Amino acid sequence: MKRFINLSHQAVWLGLVVLLAAGLPARAAEPVLTISPAVVQIGAFFNGQTVTVSGTIPAGTQAVLEVMGSSAEEHLMRKGRRAGMWMNVGEIKVQDAPSLYLVMSTAKELLTAAPPTATWGYRALEKRLVFSGKIEPAERQEFLKQFLELKESEQIYASRPGAIQLKAAGGDASAVAASFPLPSNTRPGAYKVCLSVIQDGRVVSHNCADLTVALVGFPAWLAGLAYQHGVAYGVLAVVIAIVTGFAMGFIFKGGGGH
Amino acid sequence: MSWNLYLPLAGNSINILLLFGLGGGRGLSLRGVRRGGRLSHDPALDHGGHPVHGGRGLGLQPDCGGLHLGLLCSLPPGERGLQDGAFLTIGGLLGGTLGVQFIKLLRAMGNADFVIKITYVVMLGVIGFYMFAESLQSMRKKPVESPRVEAPAKVSLYNRIIQALPYQMKFEKSGVVLSPLLPLVLGVFVGILAAIMGVGGGFIMVPVMVYMLRMPMHVVVGTSLVQILFTCINVTIMQSASNHTVDMILAIILLLGSTLGAQFGVRLSRRLKADQLKILLASIVLLVMVQMLVSLVLPPHLLLAHKGGH
Repeated sequence: MKRFINLSHQAVWLGLVVLLAAGLPARAAEPVLTISPAVVQIGAFFNGQTVTVSGTIPAGTQAVLEVMGSSAEEHLMRKGRRAGMWMNVGEIKVQDAPSLYLVMSTAKELLTAAPPTATWGYRALEKRLVFSGKIEPAERQEFLKQFLELKESEQIYASRPGAIQLKAAGGDASAVAASFPLPSNTRPGAYKVCLSVIQDGRVVSHNCADLTVALVGFPAWLAGLAYQHGVAYGVLAVVIAIVTGFAMGFIFKGGGGH
Repeated sequence: MSWNLYLPLAGNSINILLLFGLGGGRGLSLRGVRRGGRLSHDPALDHGGHPVHGGRGLGLQPDCGGLHLGLLCSLPPGERGLQDGAFLTIGGLLGGTLGVQFIKLLRAMGNADFVIKITYVVMLGVIGFYMFAESLQSMRKKPVESPRVEAPAKVSLYNRIIQALPYQMKFEKSGVVLSPLLPLVLGVFVGILAAIMGVGGGFIMVPVMVYMLRMPMHVVVGTSLVQILFTCINVTIMQSASNHTVDMILAIILLLGSTLGAQFGVRLSRRLKADQLKILLASIVLLVMVQMLVSLVLPPHLLLAHKGGH
């Protein structure tokens, strides 16, 4: 009897193992993602940095890579003509706009002809953004386009169809690799890099990794002083200017003044 | 080695050589006309992608350190109108403080950049046309009318007004009798302009002192420098504390560039005739003014902008 109970216990465990094994293909479908470097340091000579992403996705699928900053409410001004001159005439608030949004894909059409149900790229972003303030409902599409153009001109939004390289990695996996430039005006903060596996026009799985951008060294010290001790920073600026002026006057005595 | 330097306050990097070039250009222009460097300099930074309001504070520092203080020290004591400049300085400090708050309010309302640009268009226009006309007149060898500081035979309305102001007192160095209210009010005006435009105010203060306060030219230079120095220091500290718009690194590099540029300016100015140089600089000032005016009149590429600049 005891032996029978043991056998039945073993059968239950075996059943569980089989069930878990059956679930394994779904876990294997999750893309693997590696970022290099995972921490971008903004030092004194920082001029943007190229970040490389590599990973694997199931064979026969496509991928979309998104780099996103934290979302916040943006306060923008719309321009209008008054007395023959163009000036800011009203405030427009944009909610849920990421501070940085870069999107890349393996197949170009994933971004250039994304389906209406797409949960990636500018199409998804357009659905997510909420405009309020001095804007009529009929103007939304126009200002949405303007908003994306503004962000693209600042290099903090970009859509790069086909920028992910896709190669067979052997077995039932494909290797993906991409690199994206983080512009020099990237704000320090925490960013998410997400790789989504696309099959039949929908996301079947995705994986995200953290990317940190941090001020280090002299810029970190100077920014801290400027924003937390504004008066001391101002006094220091004046003292440095005066000392530099004296030094320059001394070096170029008689020739440098005006 | 990277030639780019990260500016933590601007939140962006900028090419050091470009900065030296801008500073050098300013130094050259200063050697040529002894004014106007700032006026061509801040719009150049703006066109280079640096926020317009960010230029206010940074522009003040080279004026405070490299140029005015050095010049002030080089003047003989008789030419430093310390007593005369006191009221202008007090006015400048008040005006600068007011101006900084005004810019803060404008930034909150979202139209700071427009006000700064339109102020530049007006000032560049006035100065550019004046310099151009004056240089043309000189080149045609017509006698240039020098400013007449002595009182005209017939008392003008302006003279009657300034004589009617209360608390008339004699300014020893300048030898003029004035109400201290007049330099005080003019100082406030120049202080506000200093905060809005990021200029020292000398380009307005000198004609104001010559034509409105009737002060002799040799005293005007030193007095102007005293006033500018204090106004600059005040506005720099106020901008740092209130608006966080002083980019120290940028200012130091521009200062170094302008000092080096001034050395080349000395050599260049020896080869060119003063009128030729002045007409060249007037043309640059007018071109910048026209470019800024066009940017205000023509429809912008984008109808959206960040509130309060970048």
